Amino acid sequence: MTIFLQSLISGILIGGVYALIGIGLTIIFGVMRVINFAHGDLLMVGMYGTFYLFTLFNIDPFISIVITMPLMFLYGGFLQKVFINRILGALPQNQILLTIGMGLIMSNGIMLAFTSDYKILSTDYSSSSFDILGISISTPLLISFAITAGITVVLYWFLLKTDTGQAIRATAQDREAAQLMGINVKRMSIIAFGLGASLAGTAGALISPTYYIFPQVGSTFTLKAFVITVLGGMGSIVGATLGGILIGVAESIGGVYFGSGWKEVVVFVLFLLVLLFKPSGLMGKSNT
Amino acid sequence: MFGKIQATALALILALPMAAQAAKVKIGFVNSITGPEAPIGENLTNGVTLALEDLKKKGIDVELVKEDDTGKPEKSMAAFEKMATRDRVAGIVGPYSSKCANAIAKLAEKYKTPLLIPVASKEEITRQNLKWTFRLSATTYDYATILLDMATSLGKPRTIAIINENTDFGTSGAKSAKDYAGKKGIRVVAEEAYAPGSPDYRSTLTKIKSKKPDLVFMVSYVADAILLMRQSREIGITPQAFLGAGAGFATVSFAKEKAISSNVFSSTQWTGDVNWPGAKEFNRRYIAKFGKEPTYHAATAYESMMIMAETAAKAGGNQEKIRSALKSGKWNGIMGEVKFADYEGYTNQNKHQMLVEQIQNGVHQTVYPPKYVSKKPVYPFPGWR
Repeated sequence: MTIFLQSLISGILIGGVYALIGIGLTIIFGVMRVINFAHGDLLMVGMYGTFYLFTLFNIDPFISIVITMPLMFLYGGFLQKVFINRILGALPQNQILLTIGMGLIMSNGIMLAFTSDYKILSTDYSSSSFDILGISISTPLLISFAITAGITVVLYWFLLKTDTGQAIRATAQDREAAQLMGINVKRMSIIAFGLGASLAGTAGALISPTYYIFPQVGSTFTLKAFVITVLGGMGSIVGATLGGILIGVAESIGGVYFGSGWKEVVVFVLFLLVLLFKPSGLMGKSNT
Repeated sequence: MFGKIQATALALILALPMAAQAAKVKIGFVNSITGPEAPIGENLTNGVTLALEDLKKKGIDVELVKEDDTGKPEKSMAAFEKMATRDRVAGIVGPYSSKCANAIAKLAEKYKTPLLIPVASKEEITRQNLKWTFRLSATTYDYATILLDMATSLGKPRTIAIINENTDFGTSGAKSAKDYAGKKGIRVVAEEAYAPGSPDYRSTLTKIKSKKPDLVFMVSYVADAILLMRQSREIGITPQAFLGAGAGFATVSFAKEKAISSNVFSSTQWTGDVNWPGAKEFNRRYIAKFGKEPTYHAATAYESMMIMAETAAKAGGNQEKIRSALKSGKWNGIMGEVKFADYEGYTNQNKHQMLVEQIQNGVHQTVYPPKYVSKKPVYPFPGWR
């Protein structure tokens, strides 16, 4: 029982961070219908930012989010304005090539600048934990989960209640109609990609105290983000949140009951089952 | 026609001085320069760089053909084919990881190009009766046996938990540990193979903790080594000893994480303070040149390149001659005595003496076998600080 609860809780905690990565990707897809293959690399850039803010300026990774978030937003907005806006009308494969290319430039640029060495961000609480009924809960993971939850709530509020948020959702629903209603869709795209990038960067910042950092770290998370997004329904934020936690729990429990080598199998079987019975994903609407 | 004659004449003129020196050789080097194994690959590259300097001093001018396999077997194979057919190298050194080395070992046979594997240690690589593939390092079996030999000489462990990465090196290391533990009368209470790169091993480790093993044996590359130890500390696993099978546990970046690396044992092919000829000097030069300590990977790559280039130079680039010279030759350098022998089902396998080091205060210290000890081992594990 302890083992089950332990894996459930670890899964939920790590799933929170997955959700954050998935939400970023899903917003970008929802608004622009562009699949961002550089998503994991944006996360990696966030990790490096956090790492150097910590080692050079001694800013705690969880506090440095207030710097990383806006910076990543600007970076994402810049990428959108300069590169992605140009190919919005292009063939999907060309869009994919562009985002893959951007990802490669980011990871190899970082490798050139900081070498391929693994960087470990060690805070004094990096491996600290506390016990509840024999279940050990990692302090940094718990903090990052709390921050993720907070960010998600603010994001919902932003998308549901503010004018800009509604404009973004309108663009996601029907780009042309939104444009006819006088919404500046190019600007919405910039905001959406900025948001996506800053969420990916934040996720990077949140896991860097417990994970390791190297230039190619992004690819693992790009794949995960896809699974989460498709599982939850492309473009659905609630779906991505659910999908993230579901994947986290499936990995964790699969790892215990089927062996660590099998946990990917558990995740992908689950993924296939969802797609089989609900092809548009958990929260997805029918194809548009 | 005239052009052809001219070209032949030109080729002759160019070739003549080279033939006179007889010391210019073309050697291929496959390595993981980028990709997830790049941090270890860098050590191999640096080792080869030092080897080229020393070869130059000996009057052997090596034309190095470098290829990056990014840690993927198929890229390794493509690189091997390119070097064997297009570049026509005399011999090839590399690649780093077991999965890549295993993939290209058979190609060496096909293209009749001698391959010297510096450090990839999956046992099967030299167990396929391949005549053109040589291996300098000890095998994964030795990674496991030396650690268990040490543990049984220091204490009385009864149970062992095995955690390994589900790659060639990891699986092969885990299998050897299981076999040898059986021979030593140590019961295997848990076996966990994991897919590398996951941020969360807590559930697996909790399961292992509940089995209360005396020894925890891990086979992992760099980053996962740190992560596994960090999460072991979090979960509070306290065996008699943590045993790491080289790779990630032998790196400087692991040792530097004092909170989690202290008192962890690691089997290794080489240490900077071992008394093999030139080892200490190599260690010193490496630090001076690259600003960090070399791992055993660097030493194996250095020695492999030295052996391959010297042999190739002596044989004038003739591959059949290189092969028989490697087979019959004997060397004594920074990796101790080297001889490629056939024994216990192995072919062209160097019977290399493994060492055990323990991280004490952020530094790797050689603690076993007694002949090579630089510091006394701390056993059993004193608990987490």
